[in-house]
Amino acid sequence: MLKIENLHASVEGKQILKGINLEVKAGEVHAIMGPNGSGKSTLASVLAGREEYEVTEGSVTFLNDDLLELAPEERAHAGIFLAFQYPIEIPGVSTTNFLKTAVNQTREARGLKAFDAVSFLKEMKEKMKLVDIDQALLSRALNEGFSGGEKKRNEIFQMAMLEPKLSILDETDSGLDIDALKIVADGVNKLKGPDNASIVVTHYQRLLDYIVPDFVHVLYKGRIVKSGDKTLALELEEKGYDWIKEEVAAL
Amino acid sequence: MSEVLTLEDQLLADFDGWLDQHYADASSLKAIKKAGAETFKSLGLPQRKSEAYKYTPITKTIEKNFDIETVENASTLTKSDCEAKFYNEEDANHLVFINGIFVDDYSKIVSGSSDLTIRVLDEQSINEHPELKDNLGKVNGSQIDPFAALNLAYFNQGVFIKSAKNADNKNTYIYQFLDASASQAVIFPRVFVYGSTGSRTRVYEKTFFNGDNNTLNISIVESMVEANAEVRFTKLQNYETNSYAVEGIYAHQAKDSRFYTNTFSFEGAVIRNNVYINIDAENCEGHMNGLYQLSGKSHVDNNTSVDHLKPHSYSNELYKGILDDHSRGVFNGKIYVRPDAQKTNAFQSNNNILLSDDATINTKPQLEIWADDVQCSHGCTTGQLDEDAIFYLQARGVNKPQAKALLLNAFANEALNELQNDLMKEEIEEIILNKLK
Ligand SMILES: Nc1ncnc2c1ncn2[C@@H]1O[C@H](COP(=O)(O)OP(=O)(O)O)[C@@H](O)[C@H]1O
Ligand SMILES: [Mg+2]
Repeated sequence: MLKIENLHASVEGKQILKGINLEVKAGEVHAIMGPNGSGKSTLASVLAGREEYEVTEGSVTFLNDDLLELAPEERAHAGIFLAFQYPIEIPGVSTTNFLKTAVNQTREARGLKAFDAVSFLKEMKEKMKLVDIDQALLSRALNEGFSGGEKKRNEIFQMAMLEPKLSILDETDSGLDIDALKIVADGVNKLKGPDNASIVVTHYQRLLDYIVPDFVHVLYKGRIVKSGDKTLALELEEKGYDWIKEEVAAL
Repeated sequence: MSEVLTLEDQLLADFDGWLDQHYADASSLKAIKKAGAETFKSLGLPQRKSEAYKYTPITKTIEKNFDIETVENASTLTKSDCEAKFYNEEDANHLVFINGIFVDDYSKIVSGSSDLTIRVLDEQSINEHPELKDNLGKVNGSQIDPFAALNLAYFNQGVFIKSAKNADNKNTYIYQFLDASASQAVIFPRVFVYGSTGSRTRVYEKTFFNGDNNTLNISIVESMVEANAEVRFTKLQNYETNSYAVEGIYAHQAKDSRFYTNTFSFEGAVIRNNVYINIDAENCEGHMNGLYQLSGKSHVDNNTSVDHLKPHSYSNELYKGILDDHSRGVFNGKIYVRPDAQKTNAFQSNNNILLSDDATINTKPQLEIWADDVQCSHGCTTGQLDEDAIFYLQARGVNKPQAKALLLNAFANEALNELQNDLMKEEIEEIILNKLK
């Protein structure tokens, strides 16, 4: 589904990703872990199409398309969803307000009929249940005055509405208490299927108790320096990152 | 050697002949119009150093773009041409002006004298309505602007709108057709709105263009708002790249009254709006809202004043600007609080988004406060669209123009809050969106 080869990216002249290789197949869950500042969010942003980040080398194919050629909205239409680490606030624009445009533009791009007002509301109601989110919250200005948990829940709600093929969750667990974490994980698990995949970025093992990964990768200094199965996450939890850093330094 | 005529001279060259031709010597209107011409002469047009027209060199602009001698103002527009542009609201008044002249025959008036009297502003209506005769051309603020005086001299068949006491009136739409298909058009529409005690009157004006020659619209609205009455006057200025205009709205408020103006400006070569509200009594509310969304080389100048003369009143002003390409916005907001006007609450803000490095905004609040127990505030901001917000929306599948439109709509929305007309609101939202494509 997704194939990243030798991906290099820089921002403001600073090289951040230094040769990422990663393949994600349909049905898989990949966890990406790593210390702060390793480039996890940068990787997520590059995949979502943030212009600030310049790809200097390498390639990314998504469902046989050159992902890097597509505008951010075209990537969303193709099935990429990024749940932001820091969802921004947009005064005067409510979730309900922009999501109808987002969902309908996405549906049209996928050859589906746009929702009319009634079917859109019905769809909303269904997906709201999934992440236990309140209508009132969705009518408020996007993320303005939302708690950390509400912001993350809103991200997962939008994900549910957009039905992506590949979701990238960037530290969706950070700032959540255990109940909120369960709700978010629950939402993600319910959306899982044989035809879609997720990349879960986190630096705590905690989330992976709820969203069980097939693969765990450690990103450090812009490279994937180690990959394994879910036991790698447990090992990291126990030993921290120092041993990885030492291994890298020894090379 | 031939003498170079000033623009003032050119504008008044045929005035006496024109006046004699249209108005009988004994008529009231003739005297009023003569006085208008005299005021215009004594004020003169704004010159280079004019403070009031600082960022809008209007006289030079007119000299450069108009050949006053060749102006004909003839029009071939038919009744059905005009009707085709009416808003789809059956139970409302639809008033047609063609090149500044109110055309009764082309208009559709559903109100009657028991609620809203709508008549040609002419000698007869002046003689039958003392409130018109006594106030025409006299609403405060209009005497200090040369264009208001010039309009008083030259307007011909304006419209007089008078609400009956306590009437809650149907909507009134005014369609200003500017037909410059034969020659340049220089027009002088005039509207007088009289809101009797306890009544509510809402007027919505929109401009249309026919032909490719330059147009100059020198338009004046005067309004007297009596005790506990409400008048709303909204303008949708859908100007074009060869449109020039100086438009004035002058309102006078009696106690417990409310006056609202909304001005929505889209494009125009040089457009100047003068808004002047006199709050001459207690417990009044005066509202001025505006939105200007400009591109190309458009230039829109909003010059507003609210004059608090008596205590315990409230005024609120909000203008928002979206400026693209090489466009220029000008905002000047004056708030006067006179010595007697204790306990005044007066608020003003002007917010702008620049979509291009070449767009300019000149914004200047001006507070002159002589009373000590008042609450006044003003603020202006100028910024760009938030790139992070655009990316967020794009990442959710909203294309870039639509993402910008959503953000700009949210920005502009506040300026639409006081517009109580869904037909016009939807139209404006659509214009905002289309201009971003
Ligand atoms: N927009 C940016 N401008 C400058 N530096 C950036 C920007 N985004 C990320 N960086 C830098 O890139 C590095 C990787 O950041 P990030 O991808 O956010 O790491 P992680 O998500 O793994 O904590 C950090 O050193 C960070 O400071
Ligand atoms: Mg991060």
